[in-house]
Amino acid sequence: MKIVVDPVTRIEGHLKITVEVENGVVKDAWSSGTMARGFEALLTGKDPRDAPFVTSRFCGVCFSVHQMASALALDEAFGAEVPLGGRLLRSLCNAAEYIYDHVLHFYHLSALDYIDVMAVAAYKGRDKDLNALKEKVVGLVKAKDTYPLTPRYKPDEFSVSDPDMVISAVKHYVDALSMQAKARNMGVIFGGRQPHYQSIVVGGFTQLPDINQVARFRAMLDEQAKFVNEVYIPDVLAFGTGPLLPLATAGVGGGHYNYLSYGSFEKDVAGKDLLFPSGVIVGLNPADIKAGPVDQKKVTESVKHAWYRENKPQHPYNGEQVFDLDRKEAYSFIKAPRYNGLPMEVGPLARMLVAKNPDLMGLVAKGVKPGAVARHAARAIETKLVVDAAYTWLDQLLSEMTKPGFKIHDTAHYEPPDRGMGAGFYEAPRGALGHWVKIKDKKIENYQAVVPSTWNASPRDEKGVRGQYEESLIGAPVPDPDNPINVVRVIRSFDPCLACAVHLIDPKTNEIKKFLVE
Amino acid sequence: MDMRFLNVSRRDFMKYCATTAAVLGLSEVDFVSKVSEVLAAAGKKPPVIWIAGQDCAGCTVSLAGSLNPPVATMILELISLRYHETIMAASGYLAEATYEATVKEGGYVLIVEGSIPMADDRFCMIGGRPFRKIVEEAGAKAAAVIAVGACATYGGIPGGTPTKGAGAGAIIKDKPIINLSTCPVHPDHIAGTILYYLTTGKVPPLDKIGRPTMYFGELVHDNCRRRSYFDNEMFLKDWNDPAQKNWCLYEKGCKGPDTYADCPVRRWNDGMNFCIDCGAGCMGCAEPGFYVGMSPLYTAEGERSRKIMARKKAGLIPPLKEEEA
Repeated sequence: MKIVVDPVTRIEGHLKITVEVENGVVKDAWSSGTMARGFEALLTGKDPRDAPFVTSRFCGVCFSVHQMASALALDEAFGAEVPLGGRLLRSLCNAAEYIYDHVLHFYHLSALDYIDVMAVAAYKGRDKDLNALKEKVVGLVKAKDTYPLTPRYKPDEFSVSDPDMVISAVKHYVDALSMQAKARNMGVIFGGRQPHYQSIVVGGFTQLPDINQVARFRAMLDEQAKFVNEVYIPDVLAFGTGPLLPLATAGVGGGHYNYLSYGSFEKDVAGKDLLFPSGVIVGLNPADIKAGPVDQKKVTESVKHAWYRENKPQHPYNGEQVFDLDRKEAYSFIKAPRYNGLPMEVGPLARMLVAKNPDLMGLVAKGVKPGAVARHAARAIETKLVVDAAYTWLDQLLSEMTKPGFKIHDTAHYEPPDRGMGAGFYEAPRGALGHWVKIKDKKIENYQAVVPSTWNASPRDEKGVRGQYEESLIGAPVPDPDNPINVVRVIRSFDPCLACAVHLIDPKTNEIKKFLVE
Repeated sequence: MDMRFLNVSRRDFMKYCATTAAVLGLSEVDFVSKVSEVLAAAGKKPPVIWIAGQDCAGCTVSLAGSLNPPVATMILELISLRYHETIMAASGYLAEATYEATVKEGGYVLIVEGSIPMADDRFCMIGGRPFRKIVEEAGAKAAAVIAVGACATYGGIPGGTPTKGAGAGAIIKDKPIINLSTCPVHPDHIAGTILYYLTTGKVPPLDKIGRPTMYFGELVHDNCRRRSYFDNEMFLKDWNDPAQKNWCLYEKGCKGPDTYADCPVRRWNDGMNFCIDCGAGCMGCAEPGFYVGMSPLYTAEGERSRKIMARKKAGLIPPLKEEEA
């Protein structure tokens, strides 16, 4: 029988998941992005310097990384060399983005899939705060108004219902609400405001920092570090290696076992040593991980099952975007990106596997298989890496900004070139992100982005091979068709962000846009 | 109200109420008792449906960034949030069933985020239905409609694309729409508008294009701390130069003279910073026609910036004097 989950909630954007269930197990799956806005067409003919501001609006959750990838693409096209000060400020803005985004995803978007919130009523402990919390939830139940915590899919055998664990998780859910807001305010010290920073521009950065801002950022980072180290990571580990271990060792939500990371976050002044290394893994063997080098020329996009005119798979530079809402075999606004013809998973799990991160490897040794639970663990692990790196960037910034002639911007390369092209690659919280721009007569001639959720949420390609969401659902247990909780657990473990996955549509003219590599 | 659960003391919440009361022109005591009365009435919180169309979730994220009052206070204490795709526990048919039951009941506050594609319904489908139809249906039985962000008010960025994104006013014609138009919406604007409605049962006074005058009554330019540099034509040219750091951002594309919003006084993210203070200028996100009408953004080479300068040269943007301010 077919089960349709539409809308999938607690994600960014509009997603429909259809699964075919046989004998209580998912046999087949289809992932559909159901909304499009048309950013590329909008940008054609505009001043290229608008692009980071506009593409930030691809996504109100991960705005910072789009602004960043767009600025990197323009830097290349304009021939701009961003001074170290500008690079550090950009990294700090993105660090704040990672910290808030990962914490929000775990507590506010995912936790409700794993805990039976109503179990707090059975809490018998004496902690004052926790009892106040218990009274509160019981009060909501008595008032018969528990929105938006209910209705929900019924808790199943994987749900955590131990009252002590649940009540502390719910307490952390509430605490995390203010922590994620504070993490974002930390980014705002340099970013200007959020969502949608305003200070990352071609050539660097717009705000000359002062010493007190550095001190304030550090103080706010201390509070974040404490929460990440003492609450977030312990919670993920307690759940992943405790009640959720059966789900983790069963590897529910595995997928194709191919992983891609473009790499990002400069650790050294030269910008060579990356916090997240780049690499591609085909057919993962967890005991012997082999990550090969990434060649972005091997990226292609198939439109066979997407609402665009049928065409052969193309590199983003050669992509044609002729829109066709009536094609029978199409079922999504999302294209199907492939690396060397293969579907890839991108995101925290891909990054930590490519990096052979020792903490993740430790979990793998305990029997945790790459899948839904491992994704949450990888996300928590890399949050700590970003927090630690942010301290280094603050130290470097302080040392740089106190030198005479400190610079944040390459002012000599702020005017758009007559012609130019550039690509910006960055690791977004959700995975590998690429922006491509081509400039003619000082205006944008074409703009393309292949974003993380396009990789993960893609439909089938021209060979009929499923996308990563689709493949990762195969084998997921769905004993009760009215309660497909494992389907949403698997999908949410990727942290879907659909607004940015479906911004691609054709230009007004409906003519074929050629984007040639020169 | 027991605020312990929400990590906010009653005192802090009342402090916030006092500020809002001042905005509403009520005495603090009146205000507090009114809010409490409203909340106590039948022990129920006003039902709210939050729908999102062609959006980026930025307005939801913006609301979730509110620390004072905390977002938890708003979504659990002040309102009964029946439907919000990004927040609610339910998915699929459970989510849709809650939506349908609330709409049937009527009398809720409808909040719209994101635009409605006017070119073709298929550009935005939710639960298998066109978003346009959902706005039409939810709008019909709403007690009040709040459009949040540039997209839901005047079309925003999707307004300039082939999908022809339009604001809620293009669909809902039979009642006033409260437009909170910045990109993204300011969380204070949502909190204050809801509190105003809860307290008075009325829509706050609006300007000609549906924006509450308490937030959109003044030009960004008239409250800008860089204003004297504009008057003296000292324009920032190099972001690296400490001497120019506080100069006017006109040449970097600032559209403050064309934009009505309270950003320079309210600032953003608990007063931490805002666009003009970070050296990037105002991009006019509160105005109809944003983004296309404000482009190019980071330079004064466009038509709009040239007109601003022409007005200045003609003496139409004179330095503020006491009687004018």
